[in-house]
Formats: sequence, C-alpha cells, structure tokens
Amino acid sequence: MCNHLAKQAPRPSFALMKIFVLSLVALFLSPSAQAADKIRVSSFSTVLTEIAQQVGGDRVEVTGHVRPDMDPHEFEPKPSDLKTVGDAQLILVSAKHLEGYVGKLKQATGTKGTLLEVGDKFPSLKMKDDHGHDHGPKDGHKHGDLVEDPHWWHSIANTQKAVKIVRDELAKISPADQKTFAANAAAYAGKLDALQKWVKTEIAKLPRDQRKLVTSHDAFQYFAKENGFTIYAIEGLSSADQPSSKKVAEIIAIIKSQGVKAIFPESIQNPKVLKEITRETAAKVGRELYADGLGEGAAGTYEGMYKSNVNAIVSALK
Amino acid sequence: MRGSPLIRALLAFIVIAMLGWPLWRLTSSTEAVATPVSSVPATEAKAIGLQLTFTAVPKSFVIRHLEKDLWSEPTPQAEMEREVTIPFPEKGVDLIVKIEWPEGAALAAARVRLTDPAGDTHEKSVWGQGTTEEVLTFP
Repeated sequence: MCNHLAKQAPRPSFALMKIFVLSLVALFLSPSAQAADKIRVSSFSTVLTEIAQQVGGDRVEVTGHVRPDMDPHEFEPKPSDLKTVGDAQLILVSAKHLEGYVGKLKQATGTKGTLLEVGDKFPSLKMKDDHGHDHGPKDGHKHGDLVEDPHWWHSIANTQKAVKIVRDELAKISPADQKTFAANAAAYAGKLDALQKWVKTEIAKLPRDQRKLVTSHDAFQYFAKENGFTIYAIEGLSSADQPSSKKVAEIIAIIKSQGVKAIFPESIQNPKVLKEITRETAAKVGRELYADGLGEGAAGTYEGMYKSNVNAIVSALK
Repeated sequence: MRGSPLIRALLAFIVIAMLGWPLWRLTSSTEAVATPVSSVPATEAKAIGLQLTFTAVPKSFVIRHLEKDLWSEPTPQAEMEREVTIPFPEKGVDLIVKIEWPEGAALAAARVRLTDPAGDTHEKSVWGQGTTEEVLTFP
C-alpha cells in the first residue's frame, strides 16, 4: 500500500526536472535565443549590407553602419558602431581605401570577427583623388594623386564576385549552413544576371559614339568600362568654391568638343556656373546619379539604384 | 527756346531714347541661347552586310538597332543574308537579336556574321531555347 501510494505521487525532484526541461525548451524557442544563434555581420557598405542579407537570409543578423542617406567618403564610426563591431563575427567593408578608418576598426574593437575587405579581391581602376579629404593616416596620398577607384559595385560583374566572396565567408563561419548560403547566393546571382541583361538592352538605345558621361564625381569608371562609356569628370563643379573662369571655359570646351548632350553634376553648389555651362553648350542637366551606394525609396535596393542610374543616363543622352 | 514745356520735354525724351537704345543694346547682357554646338560630326550611315546561320530554323527573329527594327523575316530559313544601311562609328554598334525558337526544341544557336563598311567580317553567336534576346556588340 505504501509502495502503491509512493508510485502515484510525483517525486519533488522529478517535478523540478520537468520544469527545468520545459524552461530550457522555452528558452531555445524564444526569439532572443534564435537571434543569438544567427551570424552577426557588421557592414560598412550599403551594397554589401544587401548582399549579406540576401545570401545569409534568416541565418544572419546584419547591422548596416553606413545607411543610404550617408556619404561613405565622410563616414566615421561612432562608439555605438564600435560596440557592434566588437561583437560581430563578420565585418564587411568595400575596401580600395574607401574606409580610411578600417585599420583602427579592428584594433579599437578587439573583435575576433573576420574583417573582409571585399573590394580588394578584384582588380582596380585608377581615379584622381578629388574627394578633398583625408582617407586616414595609412593612406598617405594627396589630393590629385592617382588612387584605386573604390566604386567597384557599379560593375555588375564585380558585384557577382562580391556575392561569391560573402557566400564563401559565411560558409566558413557556419559550415552547416553552406547549402542554404549557396542556394541564396545562386538566387541573388540570377537576379543580377537579369539586371545585367536589362542594362545591356537599355544602353543599346544609345549609339556607342554618344556614350559620354560628364560627371562631377569620378565614380562611374567601372560602369563606363562595362558599358562602353567614356567619362569626363569635371573637377570644381561640386565644390563650394567658385571655379575660375578658366576652369569654366575648359568645361564648356570639353562639352562642346565631345558633343555631350547632358551633364550629371552630383550636387550643385554653384547654380550660376551650371547655368552658364548649360547656356553656352545647350547641354541638359541629367537626373541625380547614385554614385556612393544605394539610395532611398525605389533606389534603396541594388537593382533599384542601378536601374535609376541607367534610366537617368539613357533618357538624358538619347 | 520757345514753345510749350511739355513739347520740349517730349523732344528731349525722344532724343535720349534714340541715343540710349543703341547704347543699351551694346551693353546689355541678353542671354544668347546656344544651339548644341558640337565639333563631332554625325556618323554617316553606311552599308553593312548581315548573315545569319541557325542550327534549328526559328519561328521568328528580329534584329534591332537603336530601337528600330533592322531586319525581321516572317518565314526564316536556316541561312539568310541581307545588306542594311546604318551609322557605323569607330566604336562599333550594338545589335539586339531576338529569336523565337520552336516550342520544345533542344538548345539551338544562331551565328550572326557582320561585314563592316571596311569589308572586315565579325562573328557572334547566340544560344537559347524558347525566346532569346541578346545584345551583340560589333566589332
């Protein structure tokens, strides 16, 4: 009888264990535990943020430190950024000297995460350093020097390479998710293929001898090389200082001699100068081009940014 | 001087206006609207030769240049050729080739051979199934 009663009444230790196991299950099923399980990625490029999200899917938690409304040339990480980087397993930067702070980043945070300088994995085109600011103590180049053009994402072929680089790095961090990352990367690469096709068809509307881009920011060389354009970068058009009359005359001469139909000044600080140029040459002013990464609204995705740029160029030069 | 002061004032105004008009014309900063001046001459249209060879006869095809249909055939054959006249700048031309292959057909190819105004020939190939649209750059 005593034995029978003992069998029916649950022992206190068994009940406690049950509660403990249920608590553990609940803990692992909670969203915070799932988030902790994800690969933590810190990205300093709007384009790489999108790539990491697309390739990593729900297996990554991506923090985009440089947002679409920020100029990556002027960006400096804040203490809150450094804290996030300190916990990241993968840190993505455009590289090619775009992020002057990159050396300090790892040193300052003491992170054990992998710093992936994506742009350094493929060949560079050269550009004049006309950003007029310091790229950091290690750069050592002066205004006007030839430097690596960091705007590699304007080549869709480069972006395809970046997708593979990010895919492989995520697979190293979480080998168990290799198949997921491969499938996600393949799907995203398919979208980029379709975009490339669309771009080629749109640009075919322009005669090859009229593919001339006059911009105030030498950021479209990769785009130009891939799509048969010649770039004429005008220094001084975006500067807050009034360009000299000699400089304006040179700009007008270039536009006239090359038969340029439109110019694409990135930011107009000198509306009088622009008015003079357009009056003298009858060149149109094209819509804004997204030079330094993703934009906002419809241009907030890589595809949207690229299509916006191509539409602006084709409509102005047609 | 005799006469009404009103008439004298009117005469003075007319004299000033007559002298002032040419002076104002000489010194004014009227906006001269420029017409697009370019020292780049427009590329002259020249005859080029196009030759198409298909591994499987397509249902239809069209070749476009600068948004205009350059060549399309209602009943294509395995081999065809035609002469067309288009501007052919030194930097070359982009031709959009759209081919509709027969339904269910295996992967097929088309070879496009272009003979440029200088008489040099250039070849490009297009592979596909279903409907294929590709931009071919010559040379």
